Amino acid sequence: MTRKTLISVTLVAALGVILVLGYLAGRTFRDPARAVTVAGMTVLEPAAPLPEFRLHDQNNQVFDRARLQGKWSYVFFGYTHCPDICPTTLVILRDVQKIAGGKEQGIQYIFVSVDPDRDKATTLKNYLPYFHPEFIGATGGQGELIRLTRALGAYYEAGEARGGSYEVHHSAAIFLIDPEARLRALFAGPHDAARLAQGLQRLKGG
Amino acid sequence: MVQCKRFAVGVMLLMTCLLAVADSSIVVRDAWVREAPPGAAVLAAYFTLENTGTKQDKLVAVRCPDFDKIEIHATEIRSGVAHMIALDALPIPPQAVVKLAPGGYHLMLHHPRRALAAGMSIKLELRFDSGARVTVVAPVRRAQSGAAHHH
Repeated sequence: MTRKTLISVTLVAALGVILVLGYLAGRTFRDPARAVTVAGMTVLEPAAPLPEFRLHDQNNQVFDRARLQGKWSYVFFGYTHCPDICPTTLVILRDVQKIAGGKEQGIQYIFVSVDPDRDKATTLKNYLPYFHPEFIGATGGQGELIRLTRALGAYYEAGEARGGSYEVHHSAAIFLIDPEARLRALFAGPHDAARLAQGLQRLKGG
Repeated sequence: MVQCKRFAVGVMLLMTCLLAVADSSIVVRDAWVREAPPGAAVLAAYFTLENTGTKQDKLVAVRCPDFDKIEIHATEIRSGVAHMIALDALPIPPQAVVKLAPGGYHLMLHHPRRALAAGMSIKLELRFDSGARVTVVAPVRRAQSGAAHHH
């Protein structure tokens, strides 16, 4: 009797381990298996819902998950002390805006600064209109930035301070969020305005 | 005697010219500064370096009175992450062309001392390991998209 119980318990435990491992394996491998990359755009199938997060925009208004709802959003991470790749990408997004449209077409362009110590709301307010008056700048506390970047599979890290300054390493990708605030696709770069615009067109059409 | 002196001066001048030519086996072309949003703390400058000589040289420093500090940088994308790398020197192998262009090598110009807008220009003095110094005029331009592909 005791032996039988022991066997039962062992079997149940083994089954439990198998189930947990299976679940973990499924969770780990599900997303990559369903991500399809075509013409530089990786489409997530299904789209990945974003968690709640709370940043502020260049006008010191709350910029949270709700601000992503009801529109398509192109999102890029960077910082204003970045003289090369960030302005290069923002000029490309300006061209995407010319091709794909903006607010009136239900499309928004968001530059998230991952350097909140130097990029204040006013910094972003001065910086972004140069590229396009509709561009949204957002930033916030490290915890909230990490929450958002993790959810998108993005990355950033401040480099070592050198001569009173520092660089911030950040994902080069542009992320496309759908009107239900889900990560729908990402463009790894090097970026091309026409390709970025066509990618959204394809998703809207499909 | 006067003729002799003239001859000596002539020889010296000629030698100076030859030295200058020997020194500057580096040719600098197409220098420009990317116009930045008003109040931006950093700007980038780009140009093409050509080493017409037979020895490797290195760009080791750049001077310009319009900025607090100038560094030689490289943008490198590693596993999808853009890294800004500060370089001590940028080697230019003999008979090679090294381009500073958006998304790659660039000069990082820290804290402009005057507002710079498209249509203006700055003077950059490039200093090389060989001792050569080349001064170039770099116009400030508003970057058009695809600037990365034009050069």
